[in-house]
Amino acid sequence: MSDRPLVSVGGLVVRHESAGLFTRRATKTAVAGVTFDIARGETLALVGESGCGKTTTARALLRLIDAAEGTMVYDGTDLRALRGETLRRQRKHMQIVFQDPFTSLNPRHTVGAIVGEGLLVHGIAKGDAAKARVATLLEEVGLSASDENRYPHELSGGQRQRVAIARALAVDPEFLVLDEAVSALDVTTQAQVLALILRLRDARGLTCLFIAHNLAVVQQVADRVAVMYQGRIVEMAPSRALFDLPAHPYTRAMLDAVPVSDPRDRKERTLLVGDPGVTGVQTGCAFYSRCSHPAKDAACTTQQPPLVSLATGHLAACIKTNINLEPT
Amino acid sequence: MTPLLDVSNLRVAYGDRSGKRVAVDSASFTVEPGEIVALVGESGSGKTATALAIMGLLANNARVGPGSAIRFEDRDLLTLPERELRDLRGRRISMVFQEPAAALNPVMRVGEQVAEVALVHGERDKKKAREQAIAMLGRVGLPDPAEQYRAYPHELSGGMRQRVMLAIALLLKPSLVIADEPTSALDVTVQAQVLKLLLELQRESGTAVLLITHDLGVVAETCSRALVMKNGQLVEQATVDALFHAPQHEYTRELLAAMPKLKRRA
Repeated sequence: MSDRPLVSVGGLVVRHESAGLFTRRATKTAVAGVTFDIARGETLALVGESGCGKTTTARALLRLIDAAEGTMVYDGTDLRALRGETLRRQRKHMQIVFQDPFTSLNPRHTVGAIVGEGLLVHGIAKGDAAKARVATLLEEVGLSASDENRYPHELSGGQRQRVAIARALAVDPEFLVLDEAVSALDVTTQAQVLALILRLRDARGLTCLFIAHNLAVVQQVADRVAVMYQGRIVEMAPSRALFDLPAHPYTRAMLDAVPVSDPRDRKERTLLVGDPGVTGVQTGCAFYSRCSHPAKDAACTTQQPPLVSLATGHLAACIKTNINLEPT
Repeated sequence: MTPLLDVSNLRVAYGDRSGKRVAVDSASFTVEPGEIVALVGESGSGKTATALAIMGLLANNARVGPGSAIRFEDRDLLTLPERELRDLRGRRISMVFQEPAAALNPVMRVGEQVAEVALVHGERDKKKAREQAIAMLGRVGLPDPAEQYRAYPHELSGGMRQRVMLAIALLLKPSLVIADEPTSALDVTVQAQVLKLLLELQRESGTAVLLITHDLGVVAETCSRALVMKNGQLVEQATVDALFHAPQHEYTRELLAAMPKLKRRA
């Protein structure tokens, strides 16, 4: 096994163009220079609030939308250079499970057709072999082989998400993107589907990009966590370090905002002001206007804070961070 | 003390061509003045149907069963004529919905939507209603409320829209607010702000809150008592402390076990 990461993203920039009917064409930079690697077998979580660019990053990586700048390399293959047939073949290795199982499954197809489609498209199996393989997959995700004749509307949210997982795994990918895959589910269902994802990941040795806004869920899943704010990674660290020693003021504020899980732990806390979508400054740190760091000053607004290393594998983009990350 | 709200034996069924579906089945509970009670459950458990029954806003295909009673400030809401119910709604009892984008009128300025509550409930002077609305928008944390009065809902962020909803619901200091998943569509840092605001307003006006949520973290953070609902039935009622530390019903234990808990170094 080589040390080469399975996925390597460098300086990724994604812009959205809005061509309004009555307004001038505007470009919004959704991802503004994102760099990360994912090692083989590793789960990297991308967290942040709505509009921070986490989903856009994943979609650009899967070539579902176009990147404007940057590099994306998958196991030595330049993803941005792929076209047509080569891109189609690459998709077999990289699959995705979307958030909403109500809109991501074709309502007119049976479960069997949905799960089996990838097998036919990629020429992996057909006929009885495909049927047998679909049956195995359905059982693997906790459904039964007889469910193949059912339609999505006959299934509960949790069952649908199991179908979406089976569909993603049908082509035997190495890399799986889970984009808020358990966020829309009820809490008891969420726990079951999350357990299923973890079991399948470990059994198949999957490499995962896990996108979520629920930090408690991320903590159960991720080996490493990247926190995004307005299109940039503001902190990246091994999971343990991020939750125990958050270095960026935004990461700390986000962790502090999570409701307690025991009423006896209630306490007064300082809350962030403003919305995640509000940019206070044009240059410098995008978090400046909401930041409550005692040392924040004009220096924060003059330049984009670089993502610097604080400890092994622990990066943060805050020029005022003076947290001691050495283990005590 | 007589309870502010006394729901007894509530039964709500939805009927369609394929038959009848019972959404709420003999639910009984009370809400005392000024208290914050959580109504917890998963989707389809009957939480929202309960709220809509109290508000008198159930859809046409819903039926409230015989023997059901909803007493609020010594009136039976189920037998009250629509005209009197309309007078109560917004003034004595109000509601905050999950999706402020869907609950607000998209073609009406947000300030006017706040002022409308005062105008509907007897304020004759439009200028006074406007001043009252601006003061309330300021209270819920909209920056530059006189300016934001003129904003349309789509010009505000989700958090700001939910603040407007709170302004509408609490303008006339009702004795009960039913908040149906008020922060579920919001980001975590914004959720914390809106919950804090709700608690502040609740304390200021002495309003009781029935907080409908699927999020046990929100319950742990804000409520004093909780009602747990499953398949239309209330399976457990307890103080929040007892619920988290000595859950009696199997389903409550299941919910607590499934709840994702953030572990942090103390």
